[in-house]
Amino acid sequence: MPRARLDIASIVAAVGVAVLGLLVVLDGQDVLSLHFAVLAPLICATVGATLLAMGLTRRD
Amino acid sequence: MADDDQTRDLPLEEPEGESGGGGPGEPAPQTPEGEPTHELPPAAEEPTREQPAPAAAPGPRRLKRSRDDRLIAGVCGGLGKYFGIDPVIFRVAAVALVFLGGAGALLYLAAILLVPDEGSDQESGRSLSQRGLAITGVVLLVVAAGAIFSHGPFHFWPAWPLGFLLLFGLAIWWLATAERPSGGTTGGDAPRKTGQRLLLGLLVLVGSAAFAIGGAIVAGAWSTTAAGIAVLSVAVMVGLGAFAGFGRWLILPALAFAIPVGVVSAAGIDLHGGAGNREYNPVSTQQLRPSYRVGAGRLMVDVSNANLTPGDHPLKLRVGLGEAVLVVPSNVCVATKAHAGVGNVERFGESHGGVDVDFDDQPPAAGTNPRIVLDADVGMGQVLITHYREDAFDHHRGFHGFHGEDQFGPQANTGCEVR
Repeated sequence: MPRARLDIASIVAAVGVAVLGLLVVLDGQDVLSLHFAVLAPLICATVGATLLAMGLTRRD
Repeated sequence: MADDDQTRDLPLEEPEGESGGGGPGEPAPQTPEGEPTHELPPAAEEPTREQPAPAAAPGPRRLKRSRDDRLIAGVCGGLGKYFGIDPVIFRVAAVALVFLGGAGALLYLAAILLVPDEGSDQESGRSLSQRGLAITGVVLLVVAAGAIFSHGPFHFWPAWPLGFLLLFGLAIWWLATAERPSGGTTGGDAPRKTGQRLLLGLLVLVGSAAFAIGGAIVAGAWSTTAAGIAVLSVAVMVGLGAFAGFGRWLILPALAFAIPVGVVSAAGIDLHGGAGNREYNPVSTQQLRPSYRVGAGRLMVDVSNANLTPGDHPLKLRVGLGEAVLVVPSNVCVATKAHAGVGNVERFGESHGGVDVDFDDQPPAAGTNPRIVLDADVGMGQVLITHYREDAFDHHRGFHGFHGEDQFGPQANTGCEVR
């Protein structure tokens, strides 16, 4: 059975979403205050890095 | 894809004297290893010998990155060859643009991804699509870097609609290219496969919208911490999917879930407290509660008919999504500390809008005037402090009357000491 190849784009997206989730948890616990000045670049960076990884890696 | 490219790169015509032959009496063509080939009948090669095939029509001149005149990636060298100009001119212009807002760096990065390298052939739909993804990714990364280094929340505001437009257009493009993971569509299958792909894409978009709404509701109405843990769980699933081979199908739903959770958390939208329009009209200090809250809707506290005692009166207004309005008579001073995650803070005609809006002004009361010490927080919407409630909800005129010069005259914090 062929083994699935590691998908870099998914890893990049997972890391970005994990960072976002961690910040939301910390915000919910009042450890830090999540502001748009942080959130907006983080979203852009996550989506951008994911698209870049998708564009630079083959899907098959 | 590389194999396909090599196939296309084979020369159409062979130089005189190097032909493998094929004419009558000549040996059959051979592979580089010396084995005879039988793929083409001799007749097929006749025209090349007796009647040379017409030369292919010259295609349009293509811009390519130079391989023999490059300092970084050959972009300026390629431009120089294309226009027949010394590439130093382009290099100077590029450096100048880098220092004039960073556009040079962005354009150079885009050119690296968009302009093919000299000697390569990257014209297939897959290459175009993948380069499109990569370019979009670079643009978003540059926007993110700009937002980080600008240290200004308002700087980023205009980029939101641009970013969404970019992503929407990219999604449409991606769906319309009819790419398949195992190769492109061919022949009569193309329309059917494109239709299947559009249907699948539509289902993914609808599912992602459902995830987005669900994420926003979980974060706003349930618990921010729980929503954050859910986002972490989704990230783990995407990570596992990366190893199992289905990670890419989870990326869009994961982002669709995580981003609204982040937005609700950053805006401080709290849907606890119910929804609807609520109006409070206290007429005395005793009736003025220290705190009012609405989850989604309009919250209005009108103290214009209240007989407030001199001194400070703390007042907390909380609205998750909507509008918080405080109406005060002219003899009441308002000390304001207001926050709007996304929206507007307007006090007596003085307006501040955008994201992460913070307004803080604590003037002392004039004489023995009562002072309301307001602490207002709206996740997404508006904080409004005014003297004139009648005009505030005149639906024919909207909020025009609050912006100073109107029939009521300029508004001011008249109950406070003049500074």
